Amino acid sequence: MFEASPMAHEAAHEPLPPAPPPCVIDEEQFAHLYEKNVDVLIAIAIRKFQVPAVDAEALAHEVFMSYLKRKDDIRDLHKWLLGAICNASRYYWRQHGRNIEQLDTELAAERPDPASQNIVEIMASRIAAGEALAGLSPRYQHILRLRYFEGYSINEIAEHLGVTAKYTQKLVTRCLRRAEEVFNASEPRKQK
Amino acid sequence: MKHSDDLTHLAECASCRQRFTGNVVAFDAARRNREEEFTAAAARLERERDASTDIAARYLRDTPADEWARLAEMPELRNNAALEQMSEEVRKRLHRKPREALAIANLSASIAESLPPSQYPPVVLAQLRANAWKDRASTLRYLARYDEAIEAAERAEESLSSFATLEHDRAIARLVKGMALAQQERFDEAHAVLSECRRVFRDHDDIKRYVQAGLAEANTLYRATRHAQSESLLHDLLHDAVEAGDLESQARIHNNLGFCATHLGDYARANIHFSEAVAKFTDLGFTSEVPRTERGAGLVLIARGQIATGLARLRQARRTFAEYGMIEEAGLCALSIAAVLVERGDLTEARQLTRTVVDEFTAAGLDERAIAAVAELCEAIDVDNATAETVRTVHAFVEKIRDLSW
Repeated sequence: MFEASPMAHEAAHEPLPPAPPPCVIDEEQFAHLYEKNVDVLIAIAIRKFQVPAVDAEALAHEVFMSYLKRKDDIRDLHKWLLGAICNASRYYWRQHGRNIEQLDTELAAERPDPASQNIVEIMASRIAAGEALAGLSPRYQHILRLRYFEGYSINEIAEHLGVTAKYTQKLVTRCLRRAEEVFNASEPRKQK
Repeated sequence: MKHSDDLTHLAECASCRQRFTGNVVAFDAARRNREEEFTAAAARLERERDASTDIAARYLRDTPADEWARLAEMPELRNNAALEQMSEEVRKRLHRKPREALAIANLSASIAESLPPSQYPPVVLAQLRANAWKDRASTLRYLARYDEAIEAAERAEESLSSFATLEHDRAIARLVKGMALAQQERFDEAHAVLSECRRVFRDHDDIKRYVQAGLAEANTLYRATRHAQSESLLHDLLHDAVEAGDLESQARIHNNLGFCATHLGDYARANIHFSEAVAKFTDLGFTSEVPRTERGAGLVLIARGQIATGLARLRQARRTFAEYGMIEEAGLCALSIAAVLVERGDLTEARQLTRTVVDEFTAAGLDERAIAAVAELCEAIDVDNATAETVRTVHAFVEKIRDLSW
């Protein structure tokens, strides 16, 4: 028998670029784009990735310069700019010998994330959750840490683990169930 | 809507962007200078694009292909706009005239490498050099010169290595490298590269390339016989392609899901996926992809022992190729069918089919070596001296001649 060439439809070439818009040179438009977005890029590099301010400014500027060559590919400007500065910040730290993103605790305290506003009330539960987490296997701890502490999506964790998203979702649920069991099991001991 | 500092939310919410920014850095003179550098570069690139409409196509049209290398000296071609157009010319020729595509990619690389550093800001210069090398890598990969393709892709990466912000460009170059590694059956390396590219494309909201990298990654998994993982990834990609309304990718994903389902033994599901792919290619008007999908489906089904269904698909593919006047492709389908027939001992139909192929090839004025090979096969079948292996050898020979004539 003839063996089929496997999966003939691999993407063989670059996707078609969208038709470029008619060329209108409007320097003000570019200046406006820069002014409107440069601050948030610098802020992300500094606050989310702890890139020193001077380097963060240089990175943000470089993101804009690289945008000029890519602009016809971009569907959503903000998503692209944010993706670019996050990846640039990670690359920056890879080049500078650090590969862990750290939160800027000082700045975070000055301008708290609205998502963390009730942190005091939920702290007790978090501590309990931390104890429950400590009672899990290293793999389960790792999965829950990725999901709930480092904020990775199911798809990202799936990629990291080299398994499917569906299976990852099941794993996370299983980890949570196990954590709940550990938590419940530790309660009576504490009461004693 | 719940407001937060989550990056996905920040991309969508202007008020949160403003709040998040606070007064992190004051807008000082240095930043004003940077802004001016940005607007000046933007204006320059736009002006060049405006002034150079169609310039590369015109030069390539008016110069014999074997003299294209000397175009590197033409001042009108020594700018970003002309290089962008050359990249487009490479893309247009990649499938039908890969050697011409390579000559243009070589010309681009030679121009890009010799542009003076003062012509553009360093980031832009790095991007245009990397793009030229990436185009060279793509064409070399297409010509099955994988080592050179990987080398060219690495050269593209090298051009970008000083710039932290060029992860998107880096991923575009590495996508080609990943595909070439997969073709060299270096599956683990390819998988690592392609999966990282997919992440970067997703981060940059480049859904088209995200799906493209995913397809290549799924193909790598498939070829490494990790069929279930390949299928699972393809299902995720299908979801993204549907959400993005990308019909072409949906068609390709369905086709590949059909291949996976076949290997996983679910032939009913495989047939549904192949039919979905055919329907979508038909809707798109991709006429040549329809019989190609049918042919791929037929071959894989036959290889898995689903002879009747596979033969039906091959016959349908042959009919459609013939309808579109793609005589070589129709003939190759007929030879695939003949191999099955010979293996089953159905020599009468095999003989009839190969004779028809000889007639069709002769009428279409195809390469005489191909006609002679099929005619000889026909005679071998006549005297009961042909095996399925003989037919496969002739198939490979005709295919080779077709590829050389491109």
